[in-house]
Amino acid sequence: MKGWRSLFPNAWYIAVREFRGRIGSRSFAVGTVLLAAIAFAATQVPVLIDFTIGTSQTRMAVVVRADGLPTDARAMLEGQLNGSAVSDPKAHQAFALSWLQAGDMAGAQQDLEQGKLDALLIIDRDPVSHNLAFTLRTDLAADGQTVRSIDTAATWLALEDGLARAGTSVAAVARTPFTVLPVSSSAGGTNSISQEVSANVLSTGLIVLIFMAIITYGTWVAMSVAEEKGSRVMELMLNATTPLQMLAGKVIGNGAAGLTQYGIILAAVVGGLLAQGPIHELVLGSSGSGAPFGGLNPTVLGAFVVLFALGFLLYSLLYAALGSLVSRQEDVQSATSPLMVLIMLGYFMSIFGLQAIDETWVKVASFVPFFSPYLMLARVSMGGVAPWEFGLAVVLMLISIVVALVVAARIYGAGVLLYGQRVGLRQILKAARVSR
Amino acid sequence: MSLIIDSISKRFGEVQALADVSLEIKPGEVFGLLGANGAGKTTAMRIVLDILRPDSGSVTWNGRPNTEVPRDTWGYLPEERGLYAKMRVLDQLVFFARLHGVPSREAARDARDWLERFRIPQYADRRAEELSKGNQQKIQFIAAILHDPEVLLMDEPFSGLDPINAAMLKEAFLEMRDRDKTLVFSTHQMEQVQELCQSIAILDRGRVVVGGSVRDVRRSSGRQVVRLAVAGDPEIPWLAGLDGVRIRRRGMDYVEAAVDGAYDPELVLRAALQRGCKVLHFEITDPSLEEIFIEHVGQIDTSERTLAPRSAYA
Repeated sequence: MKGWRSLFPNAWYIAVREFRGRIGSRSFAVGTVLLAAIAFAATQVPVLIDFTIGTSQTRMAVVVRADGLPTDARAMLEGQLNGSAVSDPKAHQAFALSWLQAGDMAGAQQDLEQGKLDALLIIDRDPVSHNLAFTLRTDLAADGQTVRSIDTAATWLALEDGLARAGTSVAAVARTPFTVLPVSSSAGGTNSISQEVSANVLSTGLIVLIFMAIITYGTWVAMSVAEEKGSRVMELMLNATTPLQMLAGKVIGNGAAGLTQYGIILAAVVGGLLAQGPIHELVLGSSGSGAPFGGLNPTVLGAFVVLFALGFLLYSLLYAALGSLVSRQEDVQSATSPLMVLIMLGYFMSIFGLQAIDETWVKVASFVPFFSPYLMLARVSMGGVAPWEFGLAVVLMLISIVVALVVAARIYGAGVLLYGQRVGLRQILKAARVSR
Repeated sequence: MSLIIDSISKRFGEVQALADVSLEIKPGEVFGLLGANGAGKTTAMRIVLDILRPDSGSVTWNGRPNTEVPRDTWGYLPEERGLYAKMRVLDQLVFFARLHGVPSREAARDARDWLERFRIPQYADRRAEELSKGNQQKIQFIAAILHDPEVLLMDEPFSGLDPINAAMLKEAFLEMRDRDKTLVFSTHQMEQVQELCQSIAILDRGRVVVGGSVRDVRRSSGRQVVRLAVAGDPEIPWLAGLDGVRIRRRGMDYVEAAVDGAYDPELVLRAALQRGCKVLHFEITDPSLEEIFIEHVGQIDTSERTLAPRSAYA
C-alpha cells in the first residue's frame, strides 16, 4: 500500500468501468424502469382510492314528518354525511340530498321504486318520548359503509335535537378545555403531538430508504467482486492495480450507479407527489389533500444525505471484503449474511428507538458507526440533537471508514487469491497478515 | 542487473509451496520455469509480481526490491485466464492499459495494431464472451504487453492453444525477445522450452532441482545419448551388451541408447564397425530436457499423460 497518492487515477478508471458496466446492463435498465414505475404508481394510490370511492354517490331523499327540527338540521345532516367536502363546491359529495316535506312522500316513494333514488330517510318524532325516530328505506346493505354513515349522521341529528330541546347544544357541551402539557421542558422538545407523529412517520421513511439502499447496492458491490473473481479476471487486475484501488473503485462505481437508480426512483416519487394534485383534478375534478411533505426540513434532509453517504461507504467496503471470499455469485448471499444481521440489528433498533428516543441506549447506540445511519437520523428527525453530537457521530463514522478501507483491502488482497474453499475467519486473518 | 529471486520461501498451511528458491534471470533472456502441477511455478510468479508476499527471501529487479518497482514494469499472463465477459474487447484492452498509465488514445491505437497483427481486428467491438477460447487467449496476451513492460511473466502461455494459434503466439513471443524484453514463462511442454529458452529452472515440490542455461542443464547428468542405425538389423541386439550402455528406445529409423558419463560414446561406433556392420546413422547428443526432467522429477510428467490403471472397483 503506497497511500492515497496512488489511489488515483486507477481507482477512478475502475469506478468508471464499474459504473458503465452496471448502468449499461439490461438488469439495471429493467430494474430502474420497473421500480420507478412502481414508485410513481404508489404515489397515485390516494387518487385511486378517492376515485373508487369518489365516483359513487348516494342519492337520498329526506322526508321530514317531525315538527320542531333545529333550523340548521339540513346543513347539519349534510355536513355529517359529506364531511369537509360540503364546504367545497368542487369537491366530490358522497351524498346528494333532497329535502322534502311530508306531502312529498308519495312522489319520493315512486322515485325510490323506479331507481331514481338510492335511499329514503323518513324523520318522525316519537309522540311519547319526543325523541326523533328515523326510518331508512333502501336496498343498500344494512351493515354497509353507506348505511352506517347515515346511522351516525342521524344519531348526531337526534342528539342535537334533544340538546336543543334541553336548552343547550353540542357545540356548547363538547367544547370542554383539553390541554396537553409536556412532563419536562428538557431536550428542547416543544413538539406538539401531531408534529411528533409526522416526524415519526418521516424518519421511519428515511430509515427505510437508507436500509434498502445499503442492502441493495452493497450487494451489488459484493456481486461485482465475486464476478471478477469467478471470471478469473482478478489476476490481471491484481497485477495492474492494488487491492486498495480496486476496492475504492468498486465502491465508488457501484455506489454512483446505485445513487443514479435511487435518484431516478426518488424523482419518480417526487414527480408523482407533485402530479397528485393535477391528476386528482383531472380525474375527479377537484384537488386532493396535498403532498405529504410536512416535517421535512433542511436539517433533517442534510443529515439524511450525510448519513446515507457515510453509511453506504462503510457498509459497501465490508460487502466488498466479504464478496472477495467467495468465487461464485451464488455464494454471495451466504457470505454476506453476517452483514445482513448487523444491518437488520441497526434497523430494528432504530424502529424501536423511535418510540424511546430519549433513552440512554438509543443515544449511546447512535454513536456506534454501524448504527449511526439509522439511529442518529432518527434522533435528528425527532429533534433535540446538539450539533456536536451529530459532528461526533460523523467523525466516528469517517474514522471507521478509513479503518474499514484498510482492513477490507487486506481481506480483499488475500481473499481474491483464495479459490474454491470455504474461507473461515481464521484463514482470512492469516491470509490478510501476509498479503500486501 | 537482472531479475534476482533470492532464497524465497512460502508456505500455505501444511503445504510448503516454495522452499529456499533462488533464481537469476538476465535481462533480455527467455527463461523457462518447468515443473509438474503444484511445483510452485505460479506461486513464484505471483511473488515476483508482489501479488503474494514471501515468508522469507526477496526479489529484486535491476537492484530494486520488487515492492518498489513500478507496476508497469511487469506484464502478466495468468494461468487462470479471464476477461470481463460483457465488456467489448477494445474497451477492455484500453482499460487495462490505462491502469498501467498508458493514455487511452495511445492504448486504443496500439490495441488495434495488435488485433490486426493477430489477425482478429474484426473482434475489436465484440464482447469478450463471444470469442473462442483461443482468441480470448490472444486478447489476454495483448492485455499483458500493451503497456510495453520490461519483464513479461507468462504462466502456461501455450496451454489450450491449437498448433496454429500456438505458432502465432510463439512469433509474438520471439518479437518480444527481439525488443529486449525479459521473458519468463512456465510450461510443461519441453519442446517449446528447448526451442525458445536460453535458461531454465526445474522446480519440484517447491525446490529448484536444476537450473542454468539449457545446454548446461542438458549436460548436467553427465550421460550422453547415441542414436545408431545399421543396415539389415533394426533391433541391434548386441548394443545392450556393451558396458555403460542402456537401450532407451527402439525406433523405426534408429536405436537410441544412453551412455554413462564414464564411457566414451564413440565406443559404440567402434563396436559396430568391429562387428562389420554397415553404419547408416550415428549421432551423439545430450539427453533431452524431457529426460532430465523425468530424471529429476520422477514419473510425474508421464503420469499426467497416461491413464491411471483401472481400479479394482471398475
